[in-house]
Amino acid sequence: MADKVPDTAKRIADQLAACQVRLVASLPDNWLMDLIKTIDHDERFRHVPVNREESAIGLCSGAYLGAMGSAALMGASGFMTVIYAITKINYTYKIPLFLLLTLRGGVGDHHKHHVSNSLYLRPVFEAINLPYQIIDQPADIPLISRCYHHSRTFSRPMAVVFTRDLLRGTH
Amino acid sequence: MKYVDAFRALAQHRTDQVVITSAGNSGQAWWAATRDTKSTFYLDASMSLATMFASGLALAQPSLRIWAFMGDGAFCMNPGMLMVERQMNLPNLTHILVSNRVYGATSNAELPNLMQNDYPAIARAMGLERVFEFCDLDTLNRDFPAIANANQPGHTFMVLEVEPFSDAEQKLEQPPIEAPELKFLFGREIERRTGCDIFGYRL
Repeated sequence: MADKVPDTAKRIADQLAACQVRLVASLPDNWLMDLIKTIDHDERFRHVPVNREESAIGLCSGAYLGAMGSAALMGASGFMTVIYAITKINYTYKIPLFLLLTLRGGVGDHHKHHVSNSLYLRPVFEAINLPYQIIDQPADIPLISRCYHHSRTFSRPMAVVFTRDLLRGTH
Repeated sequence: MKYVDAFRALAQHRTDQVVITSAGNSGQAWWAATRDTKSTFYLDASMSLATMFASGLALAQPSLRIWAFMGDGAFCMNPGMLMVERQMNLPNLTHILVSNRVYGATSNAELPNLMQNDYPAIARAMGLERVFEFCDLDTLNRDFPAIANANQPGHTFMVLEVEPFSDAEQKLEQPPIEAPELKFLFGREIERRTGCDIFGYRL
């Protein structure tokens, strides 16, 4: 059993800042709370807690057309509610979008009510051709900036998906 | 108040505002009133996200003044957007709620609770202070310019009570611009106005 690495949230925030991400729109997930608090207290970001996940998609998409880097931070369940918004806005208008998600339902998740995410999260990524990168180890955190650049380069959404092991440790 | 007449009135009072339209009839009406191909982003069928989209733009570019149209059908899908808007409180954003009490894009199907929905009261309950309502064209023409040009803190929420589109109006032309083309037309105009660099992204 390993505890979470204490500076994981800070390292993720540093990756975002290095990509010139300024706006972070979020909805909570227990696994993300350290990261959300870190971003909220970090003056490099304008953190906007939103009322539902779709609002984060709208905010980040509009920010793109104002040349502001952005990221939408949410749990897997929230992501499952925004398929129309992403396909309608980001796919139709070719507006990049950077998603930071949780791999709910993955190995190590203690909550059996995430069985739907266990069964369908990754198939949904595949079904809508949404590229995603699972980040399971601290050594993989630098992939965040590579994924952000991929989204911007191809004007497409991309998701980075954090495991519980990364965010909370393996206990 | 006729929907398109209200939009023609707003268009006459427009100075430098950038416009985001919502799903349904607002894109058709704004296109009929302006034929604008550069300073309007016709956000077709976003299912309630027009003002969130506009908020992101307004946050990113504070020098722009932005009008965002939203039908009350879209609004009823996500009224909690006002919580976010109030929290952001962007002085360069005007949320124009076009209330026709129907889903205009779907054959004027009636909204739930249509006669009881009090949109200004909902906005005030969420803490918004600059809340206005217009039910006739004369008042709109008389009072709107002062509201639109006021240099006040906080974002503005405005309700236009209009008639649903007639059958003939439902056949008004949709803006004839493909989505990716619109992104570049609009984005280039934002770049020109602000000096920002949207499309020059390089590793």
